[in-house]
Amino acid sequence: MAERKWLDALAKGDPRALGHIYEAYSERIFRYCYRMLGNRTDAEDATAETFLRVLRRSAELRADGAFRTWLFRIARNLCIDRMRQHKLLELPPDAQYGGSEERSTLRVTVQQALNSLPREYYDPLVLCDLEEMSAKEAADILEISVPALKSRLYRGRKALRDKLGSILERTS
Amino acid sequence: MNEKLVESLVDLYGSRELTPETEEALETLAFNNAQLSHNMSTLRRTVDVLRSDPGPELSEESYQRILMKIYARGAEIEPNLAAPIHLQYQLPIQG
Repeated sequence: MAERKWLDALAKGDPRALGHIYEAYSERIFRYCYRMLGNRTDAEDATAETFLRVLRRSAELRADGAFRTWLFRIARNLCIDRMRQHKLLELPPDAQYGGSEERSTLRVTVQQALNSLPREYYDPLVLCDLEEMSAKEAADILEISVPALKSRLYRGRKALRDKLGSILERTS
Repeated sequence: MNEKLVESLVDLYGSRELTPETEEALETLAFNNAQLSHNMSTLRRTVDVLRSDPGPELSEESYQRILMKIYARGAEIEPNLAAPIHLQYQLPIQG
């Protein structure tokens, strides 16, 4: 209900509305962009651009629960554009994003294994297992059916398990 | 149990989506099947490792840098959280 109020206010040009939406979603959007892009600077740029697009397209906003899906879809498309640029420029990803050395090593290993998966597996794993979204929400963001999402998610988990191999034995 | 059904149950076991009764039945089935047991435990560990990853943190510096990028593109945004120091004080108008 509060979100509807802020989205209506944004459509009417209230500058506090974008601030409220930024506070509500900046952390999740940043984290998602960072996971997609692998480095902080690009994640910051993509996050800023996501909220600028929200502002530019505020007239299209619908506060019916689809806003979060729409927001993540914008972020995802921006990240994919950036990833294409990265392929051309070959920018290196950050090695790690903090935490104890042991946890960081595990995270880097998992991140590398995730990054080596095909996109069709990577996206469902990030949205469902890392961002803890429902299958319906993730399917909406990826613009695929729920059964297709689940199929990719299950196959992705197995592919990741196969890549992690002995690491899993050591972490048990 | 047919192979396809077991495979589907292992998928759900990995992400802890089974009821306790079904989970127990599958564990019983895996008791004498080392391959099935290995598949179940490693898949669950994979999902656990993913879900326990807190992800990158949005630091205060990143939060403010993103805000500055938004300001720099001419957008009007008024977050409730404290603005950076250089935006908190307005110089008096001269004259």
